[in-house]
Amino acid sequence: MAEAIHKKLQSELEKYQQMQKDVSKSMSSRQKLEAQLTENNIVKEELALLDSQNTVYKLIGPVLVKQDLDEAKATVSKRLEYINGEIQRYESLLKEMERKSEQHREVLSSLQQEYQRAQGQAVGKFQKGKKKI
Amino acid sequence: MASVHDQMAAAGKVKRSKDLPQGVERLKEEHRKVVKDCRSQIEHWKKVENDYESLQERLRTLPDKLSYDIMVPFGPLAFMPGKLVHTNELTVLLGDNWFAKCSAKQADALVEHRKKHVKNTLDDLQKVMKNFQNRADFTDDLEKLTGDTGDFVDIREEVINEEEVTKGKHRLAHKANSKPKQVYLLELEEDKEKKEGDDERTTGVLSEEELWARLDELERQEELQDERYRLDSTDTNGEDTTSSSEEEKEADGGSDVQVNGHQKENGWLPTSITSQMNGTNGSHPEDEEEEDCDEEAGNGLPTIYFSHTAEFKKVRINTGKNTTLKFSERNEQKAQAKRKKKSGKSNGHSPHESYKITSPADIYRVFVDLVNGEPIPRKSILKSRSRENSMCSDTSESSTADFEERRAAFGRSWSHDDATHSDTSDGITEEESPTGTSPRTNGRFEAFTGTVIEKDPLPCSIPHLTIAPPALPTIPERKLEEVGPEAPQEPPKRMSKFKATQLHQK
Repeated sequence: MAEAIHKKLQSELEKYQQMQKDVSKSMSSRQKLEAQLTENNIVKEELALLDSQNTVYKLIGPVLVKQDLDEAKATVSKRLEYINGEIQRYESLLKEMERKSEQHREVLSSLQQEYQRAQGQAVGKFQKGKKKI
Repeated sequence: MASVHDQMAAAGKVKRSKDLPQGVERLKEEHRKVVKDCRSQIEHWKKVENDYESLQERLRTLPDKLSYDIMVPFGPLAFMPGKLVHTNELTVLLGDNWFAKCSAKQADALVEHRKKHVKNTLDDLQKVMKNFQNRADFTDDLEKLTGDTGDFVDIREEVINEEEVTKGKHRLAHKANSKPKQVYLLELEEDKEKKEGDDERTTGVLSEEELWARLDELERQEELQDERYRLDSTDTNGEDTTSSSEEEKEADGGSDVQVNGHQKENGWLPTSITSQMNGTNGSHPEDEEEEDCDEEAGNGLPTIYFSHTAEFKKVRINTGKNTTLKFSERNEQKAQAKRKKKSGKSNGHSPHESYKITSPADIYRVFVDLVNGEPIPRKSILKSRSRENSMCSDTSESSTADFEERRAAFGRSWSHDDATHSDTSDGITEEESPTGTSPRTNGRFEAFTGTVIEKDPLPCSIPHLTIAPPALPTIPERKLEEVGPEAPQEPPKRMSKFKATQLHQK
């Protein structure tokens, strides 16, 4: 009986850890998006400072490709919108994941309690070990 | 976990509960971490800013010459002599793989624009750092507060029986039906204005009712909070000092809904009760009749306990010809207690054993009316004689005639109250003018300062004779000071009375 609970606990814990990793991944990608957002904002402002006399280039691989100033401005704006959309998507995703991890956490705690009741002192040590993880 | 816990316990100060220092240490660590992070980031951004500055310098000097002779880097390890040409044509990286060909001046403008961004970031970081620095300082102060270090002293007052505090009816403010007039007015207005739609009218009435309901709710909440704070006084570590002090104020205001009417009183009362922290019993201010000798609450702050005596009466003071102040004796005793504590001496003044005064209540026992040979306790020492059959008078002129007579007649010249009053008030105002002025600023308590008879409350006539004359010339000034704000007409009368007494004496 205790063994079964123990196994269940293990599996739940793994699932929870997986969830946590996903959460952190989405967090980091969202942070990257934020950085890109600020960068593109700066580019947009600096393009506004230039006039049509300057030639604008885009780095595509090892090549600098000439671009039209207006085209460049449009491209940058579009990219900004795209980034904003991505950020929102990631936001909702993150919320979902948070919710799911909460559920997992609750399941874990209830399982832990069961295990405690089943085993007694040995569980205490086990728990401590788990918390250290 | 266990090792960390031990470390914390060892590092932090040993207190009764181990959680407290651990939590505080942890909090301080977090604060320090954030502050360190901020500092390193600020360093980084400052470097960036410096780089941009030097870049700008270079941009300004670059177009000076058509070409420069330089050592061109050739791979990672070699340099080659070469020339730098087209000194005004620059390819600027705008970010995100975008480039632009610009002149040096245009590049300068771009750099300027970027520097603005950097400055904004720097400002934000500075703000965050300051914020967390403040938080860290606050936790430090908090620690000091809870510990024995620091200059904080906890002054507590144990209220045993709260019913004794306010005899008579409790004054309630903001009861739902306490202001019917306004409602009537509203209705009248509504009747008059029949142009408006029904909805508006009904909403107007409702909002009024809502307001009262809301006020009731808030009052109830406050009472609940009072209870809670009183119960939780051992738990809180002074974090809610300001809020709890306000709570305490209202709690001390009679433990009922004396919200608005007595704000001033409440403000005066627990000025010493600033925090809800427990502390060991540092000093016992006086030995009054009913005292709680709670010696050890097991806490870190030195605590001064004081409590009231049993007799709580409403005292009426005659401060002028027709003015009376009404205030509760409790305030007076509290102030007296505070002053006694401040002065550091408790009740060693009275020389006469027969009327040994150890507490303010004793004064009232001593100053009794002699009505038909029987002592009747008097309500107030300063009651005007013309009003009642008391021998005490303050400032009314009718007392002047009997001044001599009383002095001659009675051994204990408590009738000197105006003289003693002035005398003591003189003494008191000399001694404790700061405390005297503060109640004065509350309009109610001006004459109140005069009732405290600390010095030699029962002098015999002889020493009093010696005391009185030198005091007299200065008294009018004092009186002027005291009563100036209240009754400017009083001083001339008093002066005349004292002149009369002087004449009497001569």
